[in-house]
Amino acid sequence: MAETSQHTTAAGSATQPGMTRREFLVRSTATGAGVMLGIALGPGRLGTVAPAGAAEGMDAFTPSIWFTITPDGKTTVHIVKAEMGQHVGTSLAQVITEELEVKWDDVRLDMPQESAENFAVYGLAYTVNSGSVTTEFDRLSRAGAAGRIALVSAGAKLLRADESDCYAEESRIIDRVSGRSITYGEILQKTKIDRKFSYPDDFKKVPLKPRAQYKVIGKSIPALDIPAKTTGEAKYGIDVFLPNMVYGALVIPRTRYASRVLGIDDSAARKIPGFVKAVTIDDSSGKCTGWVVALAEKFPAAVKAATALKVEWDAGPYATLGSADLLREYKKLAQSTAESAAWVLEGDVDQALGQSERVLEMEYTTDMVCHATMEPLNATVAEVNGEWHVYVGTQSTSFARMTLTGYLAKVLKKKPEDLKVYVHQHLVGGGFGGKQDYDEILAAAYCAREAGRPVKLIQTRESNFATSFPRTPTYHRVRAGLKDGGLVAMNHDIVCGWMGPRFYVGKKYGSDWLQLDAVDGTKRDIDQWSIGGSDHWYYVKNHRVRAWNHDPTTWAVQASALRTVSNSYNMFVVESFMDEVAHALGRDPLEFRLSMLNGKGSSRGIPNTGYPPGTGSDYYMNQLWISLPWPKEGTWIPYESTTVGGALRLANCLRVAAGKAGYGSRPLPPNTGLGLAVSSAEERQSPTWVAGVAEVTVDPTTGKYRINRLTIAMDMGIAINPRNIEAQIQASALWGASQVLSERLTLKEGRFEQTNFHNYVPIRLSQVPKIDIEIIQSGHHPSGVGEPASTVVAPAVANAIYNAVGARVRHMPITSDLIMAGLGKG
Amino acid sequence: MPQLMINGQSYYSDSPPDTPLLWAIREDLRLTGTKYGCGLGLCGSCTVHINGRAQRSCLIPLADVPEGALITTIEGLHPSHDHAVQRAWVELQVPQCGYCQSGQIMQAASLLTRAPNPTEEQIVEAMDGNLCRCATYSRIVNAVKRAGEILREGLKNG
Repeated sequence: MAETSQHTTAAGSATQPGMTRREFLVRSTATGAGVMLGIALGPGRLGTVAPAGAAEGMDAFTPSIWFTITPDGKTTVHIVKAEMGQHVGTSLAQVITEELEVKWDDVRLDMPQESAENFAVYGLAYTVNSGSVTTEFDRLSRAGAAGRIALVSAGAKLLRADESDCYAEESRIIDRVSGRSITYGEILQKTKIDRKFSYPDDFKKVPLKPRAQYKVIGKSIPALDIPAKTTGEAKYGIDVFLPNMVYGALVIPRTRYASRVLGIDDSAARKIPGFVKAVTIDDSSGKCTGWVVALAEKFPAAVKAATALKVEWDAGPYATLGSADLLREYKKLAQSTAESAAWVLEGDVDQALGQSERVLEMEYTTDMVCHATMEPLNATVAEVNGEWHVYVGTQSTSFARMTLTGYLAKVLKKKPEDLKVYVHQHLVGGGFGGKQDYDEILAAAYCAREAGRPVKLIQTRESNFATSFPRTPTYHRVRAGLKDGGLVAMNHDIVCGWMGPRFYVGKKYGSDWLQLDAVDGTKRDIDQWSIGGSDHWYYVKNHRVRAWNHDPTTWAVQASALRTVSNSYNMFVVESFMDEVAHALGRDPLEFRLSMLNGKGSSRGIPNTGYPPGTGSDYYMNQLWISLPWPKEGTWIPYESTTVGGALRLANCLRVAAGKAGYGSRPLPPNTGLGLAVSSAEERQSPTWVAGVAEVTVDPTTGKYRINRLTIAMDMGIAINPRNIEAQIQASALWGASQVLSERLTLKEGRFEQTNFHNYVPIRLSQVPKIDIEIIQSGHHPSGVGEPASTVVAPAVANAIYNAVGARVRHMPITSDLIMAGLGKG
Repeated sequence: MPQLMINGQSYYSDSPPDTPLLWAIREDLRLTGTKYGCGLGLCGSCTVHINGRAQRSCLIPLADVPEGALITTIEGLHPSHDHAVQRAWVELQVPQCGYCQSGQIMQAASLLTRAPNPTEEQIVEAMDGNLCRCATYSRIVNAVKRAGEILREGLKNG
């Protein structure tokens, strides 16, 4: 059985002598332990320059980047994506294995350490946007194939056979003439392999398998990370121990953001056995504002001390702000259209609305929600001989390293390039977008410096809620122009706190490509993260989306990305409203949707290419003082965009889901309705096509409702591991159900009101509906499956509630009170 | 210094008596399979067995651990990690991020000792206190049923 290992390995530098940065090396070199086949894919960072001193102190032999085959015949695949429940290592290993022709039982995984040197090789280690398979599929296929080519060549020589007579299968090179064969392990024991492939030129020519011949891709192989997760052996960041370490617990700051510590009285804390000291965190990062950490020999003592510390704060500019204030300000802001910026602008919306027979106008709102990962945020940091070591489970070891480097440079008054920072990745106990901020790392590092000892900082559930990075509250005004039985114009106005600006600390509103320019000539910037999804795939001739940033929200609540980011609220609005339009037109919502998912105009697929490998879509993020250039054209190999097919693929999903759910054809119990929704999360440039049908029963006397069944149909192109995909769809559908049912975070006097799982309520087992899933393998380039299904559930439920009892709820979450109000019984 | 019998071994924790059992298990004894999730008994990540029954270790101070109590953590559920529940969990590929799964498995194992052939209602009732943010719930229900089958087959064959 294949094994997985969570040990960090130091994959070395690509700058060893004789290797240029634009070559792919297949090389075996003598080591103490024997011979190793190393595969290096340069340039990794896609043309950027290696940091100074990258080669220093690194093993001379280890250009092993994507996988390493050792003479014992084992292949270790190196995964720089975070394992946070999506079993990404297994999926990526399947891609390499398919082309490398290695026996699956010989495959294991590890997670390379993050360092400046490894960053120069792998590129950005960042797990986001459901993009791992999409962005890595092509280059990992080619890396595997290049490895196979080198092995065939070496194996043929040893077999004294003609290379063209040899092929690879199950970790062996076989001569089809003589029938003789040699294993990969034997090849490496007997010979050195030294072969170079230039990137991207030679790489482009590496022949890939016809997809019809796939044996490993498309197979529901058990995930390599699962066995250790059933035995207690799996290691998360919170499970780290370092010699002589001290524990840290956070004093919950007066406000979520921008409090300032004025003074600390530690007299009560000092009476707690094991108390070490209280540390006021240097907040020059603009991140850990008002943070005081209690350090103690044991964690419970640190928690007690954090409670016992009397801290006086200047509560800052957001001290009186509450959720109701935000909504009031959003509505006011939406009145001044001159301050908006349009990011979708097709046709002439104002004229078309003016010429409509009827204009439908509605307001929608959504509350904040937060990640509430089961593993609370934590970080363990040690300074060892001037090197900083971070032990954590994070969605981006690269950003963790850069953020800490930038922070330490300020605090220690050093140049960033003089600092050595290493991040040791662990399993991530739930991510959902919530483990791409690095406050705990900064605070633990600062404490480690103050204490002169390694520090393990653990957020309690309460402090974790208090320092959440929630999805912004939102306000929407949607207008539809109806004419000749159809939708001729749509205007969608969105006011919320943008999350982009917060990532630009020290460089607010950068000019990077994803801070999009408005399309209406206003020269304003647009944060795609906060309004994406409103650029839906229906063909509406006159379509406009305008956006307003409510800047205080961004800072006061530290608005951030949460699973599918803005799709979660924008799909709720768009898909609820599409149903309203259909009903207003007297048309069936299914027929109405299909008529507009017609592949015309803006609903056409775009034959562009996907995001470069080694990036997230949101490569634009400039974490503290570090800039990342977008890879230049010609430095990577383009692959088929997942937009290909456009709305026609979405229409197909909708037909499949509706058919599977028996939409329009099945008798339903009383007060029960079916509701439809489609989604193309995550971004316009990287859609996964998904449709959902919810069956909901409402009690009209109380407004209470139950989701009985969810039917999801998804087209992700190629299904790498169907059983895992099914698990991802189940999980994300229930994430969506949880958001519509009960999740709600509110702000009062600058603080979040919810503190633990009694007043912030995720879905539990007893609320879980039946879930039917249809995986549509269209054969296109694979797209991500970890998030999109979550976006169809809330609107499908809203539409089902309307179809069940006639109550239209234009708010998320949908509470029984809102349903009663919708029934006129509020 | 309180003595704890965990997984058949005797341990001493030097933590004060008001320390939640969870933190002694995790941080003092380094049996890190038992997880911290909420500290209030709301999520079940810290579930261990005390004298065979599932308990939330975050709610029990060391002082309240009965003398001589036999504590079992995920590490000690089965000597070779081959308990019927663990087998079913792998067979049905239950875990995603995995963080809550030690608690889920301990809760399920405790249920099956009381009810080796549980109804769906019994499963939902027994497991409803264990949160899973990845929402692996559908597979949890099926895996508890499957574990029951494995146990009953074992009894039949044994």
